[in-house]
Amino acid sequence: MSEKTGFMKALKCRECGREYPLEAKHVCEFDFGPLEVAYDYERIAGALTREVIADRPQSMWRYRELLPVAGEPTVGCQVGFTPLVKADRLAKRLGIRELWIKNDTVNYPTLSFKDRVVSVALSRSRELGFQTVACASTGNLANSVAANAASAGLEAYVFIPADLEQGKVLNSLVYGPHVIGIQGHYDEVNRLCAEIAGKYGWAFVNVNMRPYYAEGSKSMGFEIAEQLDWEVPQHTVIPMASGSLLTKIHKAYQELSKLGLVKGSGWRIHGAQASGCSPISSAQKAGLDFFKPVKPDTIAKSLAIGTPADGFYALRVMKETGGGADDVTNEEIREGIRLLAECEGIFAETAGGVTVGVAKKLIASGKIPAEDSAVLCVTGHGLKTLDAVDGHVGSTREIKPSLREFEAIVAQDQAATR
Amino acid sequence: MAAERATRQKKTSKKAPPKAATKVKPVVEQSRLWLMYPPRLITTPVIWQVGSKFNLVPNVRQASVTDEIGIVCLELSGLRKDIKAAVRWLEKIGVSVEPVEINVIGS
Ligand SMILES: Cc1ncc(COP(=O)(O)O)c(C=O)c1O
Ligand SMILES: [Zn+2]
Repeated sequence: MSEKTGFMKALKCRECGREYPLEAKHVCEFDFGPLEVAYDYERIAGALTREVIADRPQSMWRYRELLPVAGEPTVGCQVGFTPLVKADRLAKRLGIRELWIKNDTVNYPTLSFKDRVVSVALSRSRELGFQTVACASTGNLANSVAANAASAGLEAYVFIPADLEQGKVLNSLVYGPHVIGIQGHYDEVNRLCAEIAGKYGWAFVNVNMRPYYAEGSKSMGFEIAEQLDWEVPQHTVIPMASGSLLTKIHKAYQELSKLGLVKGSGWRIHGAQASGCSPISSAQKAGLDFFKPVKPDTIAKSLAIGTPADGFYALRVMKETGGGADDVTNEEIREGIRLLAECEGIFAETAGGVTVGVAKKLIASGKIPAEDSAVLCVTGHGLKTLDAVDGHVGSTREIKPSLREFEAIVAQDQAATR
Repeated sequence: MAAERATRQKKTSKKAPPKAATKVKPVVEQSRLWLMYPPRLITTPVIWQVGSKFNLVPNVRQASVTDEIGIVCLELSGLRKDIKAAVRWLEKIGVSVEPVEINVIGS
């Protein structure tokens, strides 16, 4: 492996294919298209086998030849390899033969899949010599940058809209980064963050480090395939905000396939959104290859991106693989959260409710055939969005400190189940 | 002595700075943006207007226009205040204006 670039070859424009050196750079000079990491797959094929992978620690870094770092990772070395749970009870409820939950609610250290992208972005930032890292975020990304930067001893700036709920801010503040609340409309805040990212020589994880950052999402796809005994699932249902995770899971399956590490072909990739912010799923349903921007209004805040940067590429992946997309209302999101919790003992944030709710619809409509097997990507923990289910998950029944009162309740319950 | 130094400092500080400040040459900046516009604006020469109304140089890098939506990726060169005014105007007439990265605020 090369000292300076590992198995990476270059940064490559997704639009025109022009190549750039492996620096902190994210946009093609020519057409402003997004840059993506290109690899030397021939060399990777010579280095990466199932046996090599199996011998390594159980983290996302066991696939490191396919991740954009030159050397050993230095940040987030324990991230990933979350459980793939066979969800028989939920399968029955949704009416499908076989169902699996990729459970990133227990990803380390901040309980969402964002730890995958952040550990890659920060490891690469270190290799490129940065001391200060930054991000703009309304939740999971901020938490993950704050925590991973703290453990790596990197200085961190986290930009948030000034009106963000205090509870979400605490989950970042506790790690001691510089947190800056920016007042104004979302679009204004968004443009200012882009300007700040351009002006300061920091590693902005989802701006100038985005080509590396986004690749971290592939690890979820690598793990799913390995955990299914090196087989790509027939169907994968993935929540979409920018649409990046969806495109990268597909890329992961393609890479494993190209390297001859997996069986299975003809997999289908399905996208999930909330009805209150569904630019991508609406376009997919209408058969369009572009989306129209929307103003988000949904309890699924982690998916509330009205102008998704990878929306166009996500639409293409769904079309190419014959996948579907759908969206669900706030009530259906809560029902999805409850279903997953009651059937499988997994408490997901609203994005998980979206994935389960959309899977239910896709199965009911036959877009995911009942005799097939599907994986649902559940990407964040329920403790992050307690307010979304508050008042919607039943209530306690109170009794006096009296055995008789308790016995009355048990009798009631037994009568109800009889 | 101390008093004399204080008055001298006062004097100099009163005189010196304003001149220097007014001499600063306005810098030309570049801004890379995506414009997305609704069907009713597709036939309007929005980019020409941005150029002439705000004294900016627009340079189109990518564009796609259908009867549903107009999407243009361009670079605007000019004074910062003019770029800001142009963006405000675009938003007022109903064009959504995103930085080249589109959504910088992740969730
Ligand atoms: C919990 C959770 N799931 C899914 C997503 C979707 O990510 P992407 O922007 O890659 O589509 C996000 C994004 O922030 C998230 O926080
Ligand atoms: Zn290009």
